Amino acid sequence: MPAHHGRRGPTAGTLTLILFVMPSVLLILLLNLYPVLYAGMQSLRDGSLIAAGDFVGLENYTDVLTSEAFWDSTGFTLVFTLVGVFGSWAVGLALALLLRTKIPAGGLFKVLLLLPWVVPVVVSATSWNWLVATPQSPFPIITEAIGLGRVLFLADPTLAQVTVCVFKVWISFPFMMMMMASALAAVDDNVYEAARVDGASRGQIFTHVTLPLISRSTYISWILMTIFCVNDFPTIFLLTGGGPVNATSSLVVLSYRKVFAEFQTGPGTAIAFVMTLTLVVVSVLLYRQLKKVNIE
Amino acid sequence: MSQSGFRLSRRGLLGAAGGVSAAAALSACGGGGSGGGGGGSDEPIAFWNMPWGNTEFNPMDEEITLAYQPPEGLPPATYQVVQWANFTQTFSSAVASRTGPAVSSGGGTQAFLFEAQGAIAYADDLLESWRGNGLYDDFLPGLIDTMKTENGYAAVPYNLDMRVLWYNKTLLEEAGAEPPTDWQSFLDACEALKKNDVYGYGTAAGAGAYTGGHILVSWMIGNGGGLFNADQQPDCVTPANIEAMEFVLECVAKGYVDPASASYTSDNAQTQWEERRFGMGFDTGGLANNVGGEVGSDLVVGSPLTSPAGSQGMLFFPNNIMMYADTPSQEGSEAFLTYYFQNMSRLWTEKTGIGLPPLRSITETPEFQSDENNVKIIEEYQPIARTWAAPGGNALFQGVTAADATPAMDTFTQSILGGDIEARAALEQLQQGLEDTIGG
Repeated sequence: MPAHHGRRGPTAGTLTLILFVMPSVLLILLLNLYPVLYAGMQSLRDGSLIAAGDFVGLENYTDVLTSEAFWDSTGFTLVFTLVGVFGSWAVGLALALLLRTKIPAGGLFKVLLLLPWVVPVVVSATSWNWLVATPQSPFPIITEAIGLGRVLFLADPTLAQVTVCVFKVWISFPFMMMMMASALAAVDDNVYEAARVDGASRGQIFTHVTLPLISRSTYISWILMTIFCVNDFPTIFLLTGGGPVNATSSLVVLSYRKVFAEFQTGPGTAIAFVMTLTLVVVSVLLYRQLKKVNIE
Repeated sequence: MSQSGFRLSRRGLLGAAGGVSAAAALSACGGGGSGGGGGGSDEPIAFWNMPWGNTEFNPMDEEITLAYQPPEGLPPATYQVVQWANFTQTFSSAVASRTGPAVSSGGGTQAFLFEAQGAIAYADDLLESWRGNGLYDDFLPGLIDTMKTENGYAAVPYNLDMRVLWYNKTLLEEAGAEPPTDWQSFLDACEALKKNDVYGYGTAAGAGAYTGGHILVSWMIGNGGGLFNADQQPDCVTPANIEAMEFVLECVAKGYVDPASASYTSDNAQTQWEERRFGMGFDTGGLANNVGGEVGSDLVVGSPLTSPAGSQGMLFFPNNIMMYADTPSQEGSEAFLTYYFQNMSRLWTEKTGIGLPPLRSITETPEFQSDENNVKIIEEYQPIARTWAAPGGNALFQGVTAADATPAMDTFTQSILGGDIEARAALEQLQQGLEDTIGG
């Protein structure tokens, strides 16, 4: 019998594995953790772009959370995210269902429908600007022709919000379409056949068969699109710059402008951290829902 | 794009972090820079310049830079183009991580931001040395003083970005209107143009377009007002400013301003000029060249408008070149800049599209004199042009960065051009916004 039962040290194989993993771990720490920690420190200071500044505790957070601009931006971010997530999901699901049916040149349609997602957002924003910005743009001409008058899509605060949200749905629905199409492809046709044999209507099949069977992919796509929408900077900034009169200033735009236009890194990073915290909470809630779906 | 060795790769690595969090993290890296030595370093003088003109500008600028033959014992110069996209981040992260240039141009108020952070090498000695070689006296009147801070000259004027009144002479003739000379005749010309479905107050204040705000401040300055008092503090709610904004609101109410102006990008505004929807308006000194073609040749610089108070004035931006404290050789930075200013005239005489020159000798060249609009701007606008610091002064300072392309100014501009606000209320909001921005 051995003299003692002490734990064995790592084997040579384990050590080799650790050594192989170490560069990746170090890179992840360097590129992700380090900037986040520094940003966290910066949110507790009154620094500028090139100086760390003095420690001010939670003052930046209290300033941000008591400012009207923050809550206005929170409101728009909420609307933008809700419309972006559910709007793009609804359109994406509808198209995915449509493309399940056999239509001529279905493959071509799939490729064309992916274009809004594939085209760089700079190009998309420029195109949308061309479509709506001036009275001579196509959309204002159409609205005038059908008797709605000369509509100022980007100059009117409410219409600008609507336009930005619709733009977001337009560039996001292909992603949802792909997610939903792959989920629908995994559903066995026999399930639909059985439902039809049992006398289920189309609506009943959709609500009681299709939706539950693709719920896992739906929740995953909602989580991802929520993150995409809350963190979406270029869609808004390129089309409206956050205007007019801050009507389309989301939290990420507000944060950017605090840091790079007003040179207030403390409040800017504080906003970013509040955003991150909120996103984590929303993601956890959706993830729990996802786990529930798995169990069921 | 030209690059200077390892500097770019390190900056590129920093830039890869991207986004607000990373940028904030980068800003936290600032540990302060050490001042450059007197000379003798092997490291070259890194000169970073912006794309100030057309596609010919930077190649020619690089050629001028690389032709520099330094005096014995001083370092040569390298050249790098910095794009306007996210230039503040580019410079800030580079300065904070001490991988920045020794000499650079940049945003018009950039030098004053960095000066307040101790990152700038003052140009006092350089300017003093220029008294002996004629360069100092060659600057247009009042220009050098715009660079003077409490501690010294933060930079050297490089090119002038002017805001001026433009009109389309054909459209004005068709409307039977005379080019305006004062506020009332401006209203008259706008009314005449309106009858032809043409806007008389063309401007833009949408995404990335700051001219709209510049022109509002120009109306204030033209009326003897402005944003900052002699103590360099925001002082927006003044009778002169209220009167100026009431005048603009009158233009909006009477339909002289394109109602979509508050959302126009610079490209949208240019399109309106090209499509003859703007018959008159305010823009940079390069508008006619940017529009080009038949319409471009119809565009003429109007005279500065005289306000009811009898005064004139427009906002202008004395873009500048600054030297950084973190330099391999301060003597080398100054020697390079002396060479550069003595040899940069080609950038204007060969029409690279850069803003107006700061040196009288360049404005007197036959090439410059061949452009009537530019000559008019130099003769009529430069003498009455004021900086953001007006009416309290003309020398720039860090506080003006609170007004230059900030949310407070955007909101103010879009509110006024939207027309749904009272002049006093808008100015009070602006005052509060500037105070909040300056106060942090």
